[in-house]
Amino acid sequence: MKKVLFVLMLVAMLVLAACGPSAAAEPDACKAELGCAKIAKGQTVKIGYAGPMTGDYSQFGIDMSNAMKLAVADMGDVQGWKVELAVEDDGGGAEGGAAVSNKLVADTTFVAMAGHAFSGATAAAMPIYEKAGIPMMSPSATNPDLTSKGSKVFNRSAFTDTVQGQGAAKYLYEKLGVRKLALMHDGSDYGQGLANVVKETFISLGGEAVAFEAVTPGESDYSAPLAAVASTNPDALYFGGYNAEAAVLVNQMAQAGLEGKVFFGGDGIYGKDFLGKVGANGEGVYSATLIPPGTEAIKKFNEAYKTAYGTEAGVLSAYTWNSYDAIGALISAIKSVAIVQGDTLYIPRGALVAAVRGLKDYQGISGVITCQENGECNASGPVFYIVKNGEWVPAQ
Amino acid sequence: MENKASSHLLKYGRLVRPVAGTLIGLFLVWRLFTVLVIERNFSADTWVRFGLSGLILGGMYALIAIGYTLVYGIMFMINFAHGEVMMLGAFGGYFTFELLRYIPAATPENPDLNFLNAHPIISVILAFAVGIFVSATVGFFLEKIAYRPLRKAPRLILLITAIGASFFLQNLSMLAFGPQRKNIINPDILDRGTGWTLTISGNPVLISYTGVFSLVLSALLMIGLYILVMRTKLGRAMRAVAQDKNTAYLMGVDVDDVISKTFIISGVLAGAAGVMWDIHMGLVNHYVGFLPGIKAFTAAVMGGIGNIPGAMLGGMFLGILESLGPAALGIDFQLKDVIAFSILVLVLIVRPSGILGEKLSEEKL
Repeated sequence: MKKVLFVLMLVAMLVLAACGPSAAAEPDACKAELGCAKIAKGQTVKIGYAGPMTGDYSQFGIDMSNAMKLAVADMGDVQGWKVELAVEDDGGGAEGGAAVSNKLVADTTFVAMAGHAFSGATAAAMPIYEKAGIPMMSPSATNPDLTSKGSKVFNRSAFTDTVQGQGAAKYLYEKLGVRKLALMHDGSDYGQGLANVVKETFISLGGEAVAFEAVTPGESDYSAPLAAVASTNPDALYFGGYNAEAAVLVNQMAQAGLEGKVFFGGDGIYGKDFLGKVGANGEGVYSATLIPPGTEAIKKFNEAYKTAYGTEAGVLSAYTWNSYDAIGALISAIKSVAIVQGDTLYIPRGALVAAVRGLKDYQGISGVITCQENGECNASGPVFYIVKNGEWVPAQ
Repeated sequence: MENKASSHLLKYGRLVRPVAGTLIGLFLVWRLFTVLVIERNFSADTWVRFGLSGLILGGMYALIAIGYTLVYGIMFMINFAHGEVMMLGAFGGYFTFELLRYIPAATPENPDLNFLNAHPIISVILAFAVGIFVSATVGFFLEKIAYRPLRKAPRLILLITAIGASFFLQNLSMLAFGPQRKNIINPDILDRGTGWTLTISGNPVLISYTGVFSLVLSALLMIGLYILVMRTKLGRAMRAVAQDKNTAYLMGVDVDDVISKTFIISGVLAGAAGVMWDIHMGLVNHYVGFLPGIKAFTAAVMGGIGNIPGAMLGGMFLGILESLGPAALGIDFQLKDVIAFSILVLVLIVRPSGILGEKLSEEKL
């Protein structure tokens, strides 16, 4: 009985294989390495986005995916095929990054990734996209190491932590006159990397880094490490990490003996959530952002964002405009390589990877995107913001 | 041959403990000497700050640890959902504060005044009442629904049920309240970061109102509990059930009732700890009870599980160890949990019955 079943299955498989699409119908471009994404009539072209959609950092994921949805609607069809944004929750960490990327690459209509949002998740997902030939354009993964790994697929439109950290150290030393700087970080790829850059630049400028402490993310009490930092009597405290931990630190600075000292954070602390958690303690806190100067295109986008979601653009995170541009740049690259043949849209994966890396003078709302050979697509530096009367405003 | 080898093993095996103990001891003495005598990174005021933050944390650990110990003493089970009972109490306090903040209590001088700031003492009492009520109710139903049907089952099954209940409560509150951490806004008189200022070795040390409040309240609650267990009829019944369930039953003690009340009492303490957490720490989400729960369990084991003064001592000891330990040993503050759990392992190896632990009877082991 078993043998009969086995033979029947073999026959069925052979029949199925014979009925499958014949290779002859494919365009020549698909014979290259990595092949083509084949999207039949009625299916959609999928672009992925992955970031923390739940938990302490969910504001980033929600804000970025909201901006991206607007971009997908504005960019229109690819040769008559609709584009769909596949939003996934990776929690920001490496485990989530690997899980989401493995899930997405299994989908044959998935062609490009506008993420991941966090550096930790991005580092874990990169090799998986590399193998599958999925080009990435992250609006926010800023860890410097990401583009030094020789990846063909990874690109980003955010400035790197190196650029940001150097800017922050210069600002602290030159504009704020800080000479003794204490540094803390959350031990993440992003936070520790950023704190390291600030520390090195600050020392090279002639300042003194008096403390370098790590805290465990997700806790509600950092008074002990803060007391240790306070004992070094710094002029200012720099924190590499995200808003949840920064809020705890800011709230406990006074009782740990750091009353009235400057608190300076990276782009990860910017946003409304931070203000809600620190209240009056947040006055005078600095943060780096990649908020672009206000142009006509940005005003138009801000209005559209407000109409669609009810909140002002840039309130949840500083990556709103970059996220919009990441999708725009990816779709323009897809349009440049897509081929229609018969009832199927073919997107040659190898050519798409090259097209994204080769982006030149793409006019987005946050500025002009031109990718360098290593995948860095942003040349501009950070803009520093300060909390005044419970609002983030540009620092002088 | 085999016999000889195993006897060799036995001989060396006996040496492992003293040798490992000496090595660890020498390492600790060396680190302490380096940090305290040679490097002297921290002045007296910093040590006082470490000690304060440890004491406050320790008070909360102790309250939660008593819950573990009470339940263990009576049912010989580790109630791993106890941290979640505390978390739900913290949410009770949070929602009370939020509600009171929206009740206007305007006076001619101050039109923006709300109930929370107009009647801060009543508000805080209300928050504790709600938090304690929520935790006690959850504790009561947890026992009734999850543990009572398994009273006769092997203890491992109860343990796994407790872990399941812990995850269930955690995810339920994530679903109900959302995953983001919520910020608790205290009445102005208990504002975090305000307090008395001491000057120690030329530097101001802030003794926060919220910290002193938590510490005093946890001390009062512990004294109250001690009186309850040692001086009242219910306490005597609890001790009787802890010693021998069957004999207590034969003597006319309503065992089910005593167990229910034990869960309610441990819920009351956990709820109080939860609202203290609200007031002092200021952030709450579904995950807030998990780590303190595990730490309190560690504290209970350290003090000798089943022993109430042991749990208090263990909680205080653990809190202070966590904030002083990394500084005293000159290691990273991220490693404070490593210190706490290393101590747990050491206690289990060297003195399995804990610091104040009595010799356990066959049944309790």
